[in-house]
Order: sequence, then structure tokens, then C-alpha cells
Amino acid sequence: MAGASQFPIPQRPDTGRRATAESPVAKVLLVGITLVFFSLFLLLPLFVVFQEAFSKGLGVFLKTFRDPYAQDAIRLTLLVAAITVPLNTVFGLAAAWSLTRFRFSGRSFLITLIDLPLWVSPVIGGLIYILVFGSKGWLGAWLSDHGIRIIFAVPGIVLATVFVTFPFVARGLIPLMQAQGISEEEAALTLGANGWQIFWRVTVPKIKWGLLYGVILCNARAMGEFGAVSVVSGHIRGKTNTMPLHIEILYNEYHFAAAFAVASLLALLALVTLFLKTYSEWRAAEQLKQL
Amino acid sequence: MSIRIHHVTKRYSRYPALNDVSVEIETGELIALLGPSGSGKTTLLRVIAGLEFPESQGTVLFQERDVTRLSAYKRKAGFVFQAYALFAHMNVFENIAFALRVLPRKKRPPESTIRARVRELLAAVQLDGLEKRLPTQLSGGQRQRVAFARALAIEPEVLLLDEPFGALDAKVRKDLRRWLREFHERIRLTTIFVTHDQDEAFEVADRAVIIDKGVIQQSGTPEEVRNNPANEFVRDFLDL
Repeated sequence: MAGASQFPIPQRPDTGRRATAESPVAKVLLVGITLVFFSLFLLLPLFVVFQEAFSKGLGVFLKTFRDPYAQDAIRLTLLVAAITVPLNTVFGLAAAWSLTRFRFSGRSFLITLIDLPLWVSPVIGGLIYILVFGSKGWLGAWLSDHGIRIIFAVPGIVLATVFVTFPFVARGLIPLMQAQGISEEEAALTLGANGWQIFWRVTVPKIKWGLLYGVILCNARAMGEFGAVSVVSGHIRGKTNTMPLHIEILYNEYHFAAAFAVASLLALLALVTLFLKTYSEWRAAEQLKQL
Repeated sequence: MSIRIHHVTKRYSRYPALNDVSVEIETGELIALLGPSGSGKTTLLRVIAGLEFPESQGTVLFQERDVTRLSAYKRKAGFVFQAYALFAHMNVFENIAFALRVLPRKKRPPESTIRARVRELLAAVQLDGLEKRLPTQLSGGQRQRVAFARALAIEPEVLLLDEPFGALDAKVRKDLRRWLREFHERIRLTTIFVTHDQDEAFEVADRAVIIDKGVIQQSGTPEEVRNNPANEFVRDFLDL
């Protein structure tokens, strides 16, 4: 009794907010900064891209895409994505599978290594291939003797893009597969399913949204990559120019409306990607909740 | 089907989860593998199922057949997992039909037979009418029974249950114990279940195999074990 009256529990002033919540002033300030930043650095550029693209009217906009060089650039970008994305999807699946299903020494180092392309500058991603396959590179003499062109040609662009987009699928899958565990696969095994059946009937349905998420990000980066591709491409119009490189050339030659027109196509792709990404992310989270 | 396990050792890295274990289980027996957590009882169950493989010297025999190196998918051992491991993206019907759908084309029954078989299994576990539900829409006890029906769909000759009563509340647990015992009386399927609860083991099983530190400490009927504990560990574990 005495103890209770000697040490009364101090009452928190009732301000109607949780102890960890910020003061109203800080709240307004933080939200304000976020909004300003968001509009200045994200919304405004996006708006400018579309505005500039149509600044000389719809006619000029459409004419840009009738230019054979522009069409070649779009075709090459689609080709590179069509090779890169399936390659990295298979690689990402294999990597995520082996890194989450098996315990071996060096495993966490490998998980770190997968991220490497995200840390190094894309320019380095391009340069390493020049060092290996370029005319003065390790394999350069042998390749030119056999009439194989990799640098300043499509294979080099594909290699550089594969390097840069390497981590996306694996990174999307590893945390998901780690959280899901393997008990459903084991159950399928005891029910008489073979490896192939387990993969298609149990594993793929479990990870499909996470997989889609990774594939979408991989595709967006593959189509948008500038730095690594720029190093190995050689900028040969109609041959080794991708969309981002084509935009740069148009811009440097003062074809602003045309440059922005092609850029608006890439920006549109980014918006579609964003939508698909958000959707697949949401579905992947739903799938995790079912555990 | 009888199961004979001879000199099975299983190591995870260096530490042995099973150390030279030999057990014989007769056709139609209901056996409890009883032991504290980390004793190796689940590892033994997984070795029987073919989800783990013993070190070189051990053998696992189903009846006369040596299955030591046979993968789980060829063993036809029904396994009910501790957390059920139901396929989250399939409804109850598809979960139970899974084993029939993955059969090789030549052995796969027609759709009408699959339907009839699943209905039959649902009735056996008293879940008629819940075919369309997803696992998330079921209670713990219902999930348990779906897992049970799914394991029975392969027409197993042995049923393996990992902590079958573990994740359920007390009332459901009691019902399920009685149900398992009755089910066993009815079809006399060789059944092995893992538990850390001696009451559960002694109430349900014909015989308990008590394991600690990867070694079998004692094996016998509840009376035998209670009246004649083999060593200090058994006495202590059973609180005698």
C-alpha cells in the first residue's frame, strides 16, 4: 500500500498519439519533403519526357518511329531482351534452387556474389568483356583468327546485358524460397511424384509471382541498360544501336523531339513494368501469407 | 508390411542423429517412437520414408525387400508431416488427388475413378463436402485429416506420422488419438508415429520405442516399459 502511494506511476500526457509517433510538425515536414522530392525528381522528369516527345506534334512523334535506324534500334533492344531474359530466368531459378535447397560451405559468399553486378558500375560490366574478347583482349587474337566478332557486335551487347541483369531473378526468388521451405516438395516426393512433376506441380505454383517479379525487373533493366552496352556496342547505326544508345545519338545531334519520342517509349515500358511489378509483388506477398 | 532396420547410422555433419539403430516392426503394429526433442526419432521416421538415407553400413527392409537406397517416391510409404505440408495452392480435392494424378500414364486411373477414390477418402476422414476449400480455409484438425487422406491415397503399406497431435489444441488432440486408434483397429495398417508425449504414446500405441541421443533405449508394450524401465534415462524420462 505504502509503496504504491510513494511511487505513483507517472501518467503520460494524453496527446492522442503513440509514444513512437512524431510530433505533428515533424510529420508535416517529413511528408512535405517526401512529396517535393517525389514530384521534383520522379514525376516532373516523366512529365517532361512525354511533353517534349509531343512538342512538335503527333506527326513528328510518329515520324521518329518510321526512321529505319529507330526501327533497327527497337528491334535490337527486343532481340537482346529476348535472349537475355530467358537466360537469366533459367540461371536465376537454378541459383535460387541450389542456394536455398542445399547447405554447403561458401553458400553465403555465393549469395553475395550474385549481387556483384548491382554494386559495380555498369561501365565496368562492359569493360571486362572488352578485356576478355576485345581485339587486344585475352581471347581477341584467337577470335579474330576464327572470324568471330563479339565486341562491337550483338554478342557483346548480349553478354554485357546478361552481366548487368544477372541478379534480378535470383534475388526475387531466394528470400521467397527460403521462407517457404521444402516440406511441400517432400510431401510430393512421398506421394510418388518425380523431380520433374514436383518442379512443375508444386514448386512453380509456389514461386510463380516471385519469379514473375524478377523476370519483369530483369526485362526492364535489359531494355533500358545504357552504360555496359555503350562500352561494348561501338554505336554502329542500324547494327549495334539499342534504344537507349539511339536516344543518346539523337539527342547529341539536336533531334530533341525525336530523342524524347524514343525516350517516351522506354518510359512507357517503365510504367508498364512498375504496374506489373507492383501486382506481382502483391501476389507474391499473398502467397507467403498462405503458409 | 513388416519393417526391419539394421545398424542404421545417420550423421548431420559430424554429430550422429542416429547411432547404430536396429528396430523390427511387425505387420499391422501401431508403434510410437518416443523421445525428447533432438533425440533422433524424426530422423528415424524420415529414414524409413526415404527422405533421409543412412550411412553406408545400415539397411532398411520392407518385408523382404531392401529399400535402403530407394528414393521416397518409389517406396509407397504414406507420410503425414508435422505441419501437414498441404499444397497451399490446391484445394482439398486436388491435394488428395495428387498422388493419383502423378502416377505414370499407364497406371493413372480415369478421372471418374479419381473422383470416386477422393470421395471415399474424404468420407473416411469425415470431411465430405469440403472438397473445394483451400488449406487456409480449414481448421488445424481438418488440415490434419486432409494430410491423412492424402497420404492414404497412395494405398500405402506403412503409415508414418510425424508428431501427428503436436500442433492441435487439447480437445482435438484427444479426439484424434481415439480416432487414430479406431482407424488402426479397422484396417490394421502398419503405423509408426513420432511423439514426445508418453501419455500419447502409451494410450495409442501397441508398443513404444524409446529413443535418446540417437540410440534406442528401450522398446516394449506400455506395461513392459513402465514395470521394467531398462535404464536411468527411461526411468527419468517417464517420470517413474
